[in-house]
Amino acid sequence: MTGHDVIFVLIGLLTASAAILTVTSKNLVHAALFLAVTLAGIAGVFLTLAADFLALVQLLVYVGAVAVLFLFGLMLTRAPIGREALDNQNRGLAIAVSGGLFVLLSTLIIGAVSSGALGETSVAEVTGPRIEDIGIATFAEWVLPFEVLSMLLLAALIGAIVLARPESGESGEEAEVTRIEMGDAPASEGPQPLPDGSAPELTSGKRSEGSS
Amino acid sequence: MMASLTHATTTVAQTVSLFDGVDGFVLPVILKLAFVLAVFFVLPLVGGYLEHKVMGRMQHRRGPVEAGPFGSLQLVADGIKFIQKEDLIPSAADRWVFAVAPGIALVPAMLVFLVIPFGPGVFALDFELGLFYALAATSVSVLGVLMGGWASANKFSLIGGLRAGAQLIAYELPLIIAAITVAVQAGTLSLVGIVESQATFQLFGTGINVWFVFPQIVGFAIFFVAAMAELSRPPFDMPIGDSELVFGYMTEYTGIKYAMYMLTEYAGMISMSALMVVLYLGGWQLLPGVPLPGCEAGGGLFDCSPLGIALGVAITIAKIMALVFVMVWARVAYPRLREDQLQRISWLVLVPLSLANLAVVTILKVVF
Amino acid sequence: MAATSPPGTGLLKGLGVTVKHLFRRPSTLMYPYERDDLAPRTRGVIALMDENCTVCMLCARECPDWCIYIESHKETVPPAKEGGRARTRNVLDRFAIDFSLCMYCGICVEVCPFDALWWSPEFEYSEYNMESLLHEMEKLREWADTVPAPPPLDDGAQPPAEVADAIEKAEKERELAEAKAAEEAQAKEQGADAGGAAPAAAKADEPKVEAGQIDQETYDQLIAEGKSERMARSKAKAAYVKKEKARLKAEAETVGDDGGAEQAAAPKPAEVHVEAGQIDQETYDQLIAEGKTERMARAKAKAAYVKKEKARLRAEAEGADATASEEAAATDESAAAADQEPSDDRAQTSDDAPAQETRKLGDVQVEGAGEIDQEVFDQLIAEGKSERIARSKAKAAWVKKRKQEQLDQEGDA
Repeated sequence: MTGHDVIFVLIGLLTASAAILTVTSKNLVHAALFLAVTLAGIAGVFLTLAADFLALVQLLVYVGAVAVLFLFGLMLTRAPIGREALDNQNRGLAIAVSGGLFVLLSTLIIGAVSSGALGETSVAEVTGPRIEDIGIATFAEWVLPFEVLSMLLLAALIGAIVLARPESGESGEEAEVTRIEMGDAPASEGPQPLPDGSAPELTSGKRSEGSS
Repeated sequence: MMASLTHATTTVAQTVSLFDGVDGFVLPVILKLAFVLAVFFVLPLVGGYLEHKVMGRMQHRRGPVEAGPFGSLQLVADGIKFIQKEDLIPSAADRWVFAVAPGIALVPAMLVFLVIPFGPGVFALDFELGLFYALAATSVSVLGVLMGGWASANKFSLIGGLRAGAQLIAYELPLIIAAITVAVQAGTLSLVGIVESQATFQLFGTGINVWFVFPQIVGFAIFFVAAMAELSRPPFDMPIGDSELVFGYMTEYTGIKYAMYMLTEYAGMISMSALMVVLYLGGWQLLPGVPLPGCEAGGGLFDCSPLGIALGVAITIAKIMALVFVMVWARVAYPRLREDQLQRISWLVLVPLSLANLAVVTILKVVF
Repeated sequence: MAATSPPGTGLLKGLGVTVKHLFRRPSTLMYPYERDDLAPRTRGVIALMDENCTVCMLCARECPDWCIYIESHKETVPPAKEGGRARTRNVLDRFAIDFSLCMYCGICVEVCPFDALWWSPEFEYSEYNMESLLHEMEKLREWADTVPAPPPLDDGAQPPAEVADAIEKAEKERELAEAKAAEEAQAKEQGADAGGAAPAAAKADEPKVEAGQIDQETYDQLIAEGKSERMARSKAKAAYVKKEKARLKAEAETVGDDGGAEQAAAPKPAEVHVEAGQIDQETYDQLIAEGKTERMARAKAKAAYVKKEKARLRAEAEGADATASEEAAATDESAAAADQEPSDDRAQTSDDAPAQETRKLGDVQVEGAGEIDQEVFDQLIAEGKSERIARSKAKAAWVKKRKQEQLDQEGDA
């Protein structure tokens, strides 16, 4: 076992434990942060496997953008400030789903390797593809799937914008506005009772209420 | 497109760092780390001193005068003060996240210096993906800011953190596109390679030797504005916005943790300026196409005599400080933008402009 | 994109403004090394002249912060005259101001009816603990030495109320004496020339002097001392008027002497009152010798002067029927009006008209107020005074010494 292997195992353990914590964490923001650690750990794994471009993409896209967007969305919408826990009691389900996914993926990978679909390559021979190779592969050999994927992403983007826009009713007004809960809303628009508890002098609003 | 690829294959041979000349495996690594740490701790202090002095003079003040000769050790004194201060953690704060956040912000800012060339052979690493690496590392800093803002258990901090997140996402895009444009022009992602390609670059169709700032003046402007916004430097300092948000995500931070955030900002100024120098201003070259004295042997860029190395480093640092000066200048001259203006500038001006710039440069690159 | 569009030009203009200011001189005053000239009425610290305090408690009562502490006891003073009533007098035991509470409103200074509290521009008395900001009487007394002289009155301004009162009183007495003298003169003699001389004397009383001129000598000196041009000009104007008056007076006198108009002497003493700045030199010197501050001594000497002058006028009025030779002596005396000291050099000084002003310490002009008396300075420093206080005292000592020397020289001459 070389030093390289030791580092690989350490990063792997870190990534795995962060992944477990992502699922078990009671606090939503903590879960998102552990997810960021997991993603960064995967980037580290890529790096030890000499896939430096992939590692950097992982870092830039997943840690720098996806995880940040997760956190951003959480903080903007429902993250409790500070230590408070926010848990929807779905941990059991989450563990079951991720465990199932793990079993599925690992059987697939093991089956693929044992059937010889990935070819005979030993760990020692692995050297990352040069960036030019990746570029040529992406834009020359695999340009059609690449363009299809970008079209798909564009469609998803437009779809998201359409969904996120406030629906406009026939009157052109915004359909529904969610009110942020900020303590008790005023009980009624009518006149407040006087300090001694008696009703104040009749106002127009009061009168109409009584008449109806 | 193919022309650029063939060009890239010719220049991609990795350049050896000065520190690799030392024998052994461990010693060069230690030397490189020492170099990066020295750059990381010295240059931001110089930049900070420059900021203090320039801001002071522009406001009819003198800036620091007491600590050290002409107040030059003011930031060192500040650092010592920060270390002595009590490390307060709000009782409602998420202790671990609160404590880790400044480090998450600081470390990527430090890691950027690994790939930045400061002179002929004066760099820790000539990474094939240097530019990509630098951009990826800076993008992680946001995480630290968001964490700090959230963990402080303070509304001002949270709003500051959110603003920082939104701002960094918005300006990351034009920044990366502008950088990609340079990579297309140079045909490499290596920062040393980009400097090298600027030494021989000739303006489209003409025989004039120029740096990339001339064909890409638009890209340079976009990069500069986006870099200032990325660093939350005034006039883009809404995440801090001391007139409305107390001190944004740093509100609850004291002592050494606060100092770490501040160091992140100053180190970011230096690293972004250094990136601009490398991408647009020809790195350590004095004039485009003219080799430094003492560097004639290695094509004007490498295998320099000690004089040439010193000169190259001095030129790089002078260029960096000039850019820092412009950043400070803009800080003094302009008032803070509004949050909606900030987003508008990025999405409606910088992103389309940078895409157009990328298209134009790519077409020109293929044509000539 | 920035350079071509209209908002871009605005951005560039903004940069232009700031870079222009980059090359301006910073307006910073390097405080511990350089000091600004503080205005004489700066509210730095409150000083106490305890000899003026009558323990009326007005300041303590008016103080919004209740930061003035006064303790006193009553003493019985034996009757001044035989068979008189014994009087009680308040003696100040403690007077302290807590500057950690004081909000520098200045109401105590404003309200003090006996000028015992003054503003001093000293401000460097910060301490490491709050208790030290409680300044007791001795400390407050020290601050009194740093109280600057009041700024000079503008040219043509009304004199202060107390001086105006004294002038009015003396004026009345003078009129009384004049009337008496005229009555006696009419009753006694047929002196036609006396009647002729009287208007001339009256004219000499208030010589008309054109105000536009300035005294170049004074002006140059003040400029050399570093005063502002405006200040120097107004002072030089005042000096000119003063000198001119003195000259005219002297001329009138010589005319009077030539004509042998002894009666002209009678209204003369009144002219003395116009000059509010006169002091009784004897009293002044004595007080200085007793270690009082210059300011204190000056105030007391002024009062003493007014008192003496009144006494003299009264005596003059009584002895109006004295001989001509006596009146001639009175003329001489009135010419040297300010000085009550029978000094030998008076005859000499009265010879030449401009130098007729009597010489006293207060009148001697000394150049170079910036010098300090090193001996005094060292001594004060050794006593543990602050540098600033020592410097100001040493300066005063130097000026005093110089003046004394000059006086002595003149005396020798």
